[in-house]
Amino acid sequence: MSDRTAGTTRRDFIETLGVIGAAGAVGAVAASCSARQEAIYPDYVYPPLLEQAPDGPVLRAGLIGCGGRGTGAVQQFLNAGPNLEVIALADYFQDRVDNCRNRLREEKDLEIPDENCFTGFDAYLRLLETDVDVVLMATPPYFRPAHFEACVEARKHVFMEKPVAVDPVGCRSVMASSRQADALGLTVITGTQRRHEATYLDTFRKVADGAIGKVVGANVYWNGQVPWWRDRRPGWTDVEYMLRDWVNWTWLSGDHIVEQHVHNLDVANWFLGDIHPESAVGFGGRWRRPTGDQYDHFSIDFVYPGEIHVHSMCRQIAGCANNVSEFVRGAEGYTNCQNEIFAPDGTEIWSYPYPLDEEGEPIAPLPYDQEHIDLVTAIRTNQPVNEAERTAVSTLTAIMGRISCYTGQEVTWDEMMESGLQLGPENLALGPSDLIRAVVPVPGTA
Amino acid sequence: MPVLKAFRDRLGRGIRGLGKALRRPFLLGAVTGMLVLFGVKTGNSVTSTDSFCGSCHVHPQATTSWRQSTHFATQSGMVVHCIECHLPPGGFDYALQKARLGLRDAWGTLVKDPVDFDWEEISRLEHAATYTFRESCLECHPNLFPIQLSDEGEEAHLHYERLAEELRCLNCHLHVGHFDPDATDEIDFGFVETAEAEIFNSPAMVEGFVDYAEHIPGTSVSFEMVAIPGGTFAMGSPDTEPYRGPDEGPVHEVTVDRFWMGKVEVSWNEFETWYRATRAEGRTDTRVSEETLEGVDAITGATPPYVPPDQGWGKGNRPAITMTHNAAVQYTRWLSEVTGRRYRLPTEAEWEYAARGGTTDPYFFGGSPKDYTEQRLLNRILGRHADVIDRYVVHGLNSGARTQPSDELEPNPFGLVNMLGNVWEFTSDWYADDTYRMRAAAASSVNPTGPATGSEHVLRGGSFKTDPADLRVAAREATRTDACLVTDPQIPKSLWWYSDCNDIGFRVVREVDPPETSGPSG
Repeated sequence: MSDRTAGTTRRDFIETLGVIGAAGAVGAVAASCSARQEAIYPDYVYPPLLEQAPDGPVLRAGLIGCGGRGTGAVQQFLNAGPNLEVIALADYFQDRVDNCRNRLREEKDLEIPDENCFTGFDAYLRLLETDVDVVLMATPPYFRPAHFEACVEARKHVFMEKPVAVDPVGCRSVMASSRQADALGLTVITGTQRRHEATYLDTFRKVADGAIGKVVGANVYWNGQVPWWRDRRPGWTDVEYMLRDWVNWTWLSGDHIVEQHVHNLDVANWFLGDIHPESAVGFGGRWRRPTGDQYDHFSIDFVYPGEIHVHSMCRQIAGCANNVSEFVRGAEGYTNCQNEIFAPDGTEIWSYPYPLDEEGEPIAPLPYDQEHIDLVTAIRTNQPVNEAERTAVSTLTAIMGRISCYTGQEVTWDEMMESGLQLGPENLALGPSDLIRAVVPVPGTA
Repeated sequence: MPVLKAFRDRLGRGIRGLGKALRRPFLLGAVTGMLVLFGVKTGNSVTSTDSFCGSCHVHPQATTSWRQSTHFATQSGMVVHCIECHLPPGGFDYALQKARLGLRDAWGTLVKDPVDFDWEEISRLEHAATYTFRESCLECHPNLFPIQLSDEGEEAHLHYERLAEELRCLNCHLHVGHFDPDATDEIDFGFVETAEAEIFNSPAMVEGFVDYAEHIPGTSVSFEMVAIPGGTFAMGSPDTEPYRGPDEGPVHEVTVDRFWMGKVEVSWNEFETWYRATRAEGRTDTRVSEETLEGVDAITGATPPYVPPDQGWGKGNRPAITMTHNAAVQYTRWLSEVTGRRYRLPTEAEWEYAARGGTTDPYFFGGSPKDYTEQRLLNRILGRHADVIDRYVVHGLNSGARTQPSDELEPNPFGLVNMLGNVWEFTSDWYADDTYRMRAAAASSVNPTGPATGSEHVLRGGSFKTDPADLRVAAREATRTDACLVTDPQIPKSLWWYSDCNDIGFRVVREVDPPETSGPSG
């Protein structure tokens, strides 16, 4: 039974458990299946991972943040099941709205009416006044806490990209809004797509059942390159330039440890039982980043309860050894979190049984699509799922690491939960800004 | 299944048999029970009304403030009654607290006069928390994050969740049940705001011979200086003093001019300003001696230390440690340069004069070394006298094996703190064990400066490692330069940092006038 559950395919899930209440039922099965080992995290709620969301009354979505990720999220939402519509777009920039609108017209034969296209800094508020049930958010993370708060107050279900904030004040705002979303029965999915991949979920299920014993340490990596940048064009004000180059500015992205590496830190928190570190000491710097005020490498020692150390490493420099992965070691084995589990001596104990296509090639899961299938399923089965708080915790974990590297100091979780740090301007307006002259932090004394 | 059925049958037979036997007594019991229950229920209802509460609680001001509060004058017209806050919401705890508080109130009503109650006192948080229940608050307010909650409220409730064992609802919401017109909404959640420190442009203004706080220009660092009047005192200790060393005698008369002395030892904050301002890139082979430095204009700066100089204990206001005597002297020269004043290390005589503060006993706070030491077997068995010495001194028996920030200790008669203990202090004198014998033979000793030359300097005052027996105000010690540099693997060994010595620091003195070689100053 244990092996079968762990190795089961998505189709098996549907046949075995049906649709409604699947999330709870899977959790129960997982908890009851522990063969040799005592279950470590028995309460984890697994998503049902259906191939399509069930049918139901039409769900209308609106998109805030019409860049590449937002445009992608719209398509993934539309693909998630029957009777799904996207009816409104909002972005600060007119050209962003136009691009997204054209793409939807060409690729999905979908026309968004003029009166539902909004621009400017309050575009999101006007979008919330339309007849949407679901809001998809893919703006730079700086805007997320305020936008999420407004969505919850408007009683909208939410898909929002990670990270959910860039500073401690923003993270705590999301935590509080998350509680309100709970009380209102809203579903919130947060773009930590590893939590929606059957490969990761089945690996976690094995670990939760004790396959590697008690977790004693972990390493997480995102070593790659700067994803993109924009050179400044004549006529762009300081703020417009930074918004268009946002993935390179700390106040907008949180720096790459927050913006990108949060995925891997979220896996560390997850595999340790959805907890968070108590303290962090790290260092980093900037060697080659072309624009903005961010670092391009970080290395941090996170200390979790019980003196469990997690080393986090992230780098955005081209032409170096790349690695995007996680590694968790337990007292009785180790795992890559993604599809393999090993005994302490290196022999493979288990690997994820990928379903095969017609030519016998393994089919990899599509986690970005799965997030939206799980979103619609949760709404239509009235089984609300809310990932906002745990992603806020992972975001704050990354921010804690960033602050330690920027300052050279040890940073504790308690400090983060009381810190008044808020990035960005007091009043956001498109124009000149001192933030453009932000100095890259240098820790310590020489 | 058959097993289950058999069990059920047997259970049924048993119950029926028992019922037959008990039928009459059971009927009687049932009726009695119902009456009792009815009585309890009625009694409970009667004793739970606001008017019943008010019949004993003769506190019209509490009734009035309740009627004015947000729990009576609610937006929805709902009224929250006395027991809904002042008793737990239900269950065993409800009965228990009702009994406890009821008995207490009955006692108070029968025996005490409400006029005697200090209502303000029993309305304070510590007291209010004993008769107002968190569970009752949460019974009506289960959602701590209602949609209308302000940002400040969200922050506060996250804070509460994290510290739920230490915090009560009342910590912030003390006046919601009883209106207090003087109460403010401003609540301190324990957030720390660090103020931008002022950067000093110039040294402190000082007029006359008074205590002052010096400013190190270009930094936000300041330190306190105490004006020490000049005078004549008996230096050294008599050979009758317990644990006295032979180098402490004979006792001889010494006169020192007035001077300022640092209230505490030089802190890391102060010492690091010098290090940052003057540091040099690395070690060179040039041996820099005291002599060659004399004529040099530029202040020589330290090279980086080999091990973390604060031992990982933290810097800030802890006394700076592990610097060599040479580094301490260079610090005072630099300080003189940036302030335009004459700072230097104290002479041994100045140090002892300042530490005694006019006293002649082994300690400036009185008592005998025999009371405080653990070198004495009796004290190890019966326990040393700790109450007096621990108020003045960080020593080997109370320090936790590290330096301590000095702000909590009491000062000596001159207002100086930490003269004894915490860290040994450098003086400018070379050490010799016959210094006092040579000096006592001379006619007079005014502002003595010790032997003309030597190999080690005098240390005074003892440290956080020292037993009280060696913390006597007359006790003398010498630097041991080689022993302090054992670990330093480099050649030449550092002129600036001791690698193996974490219990020596220093304090500065400031001269009033150029030192005079004859005659006491006015």
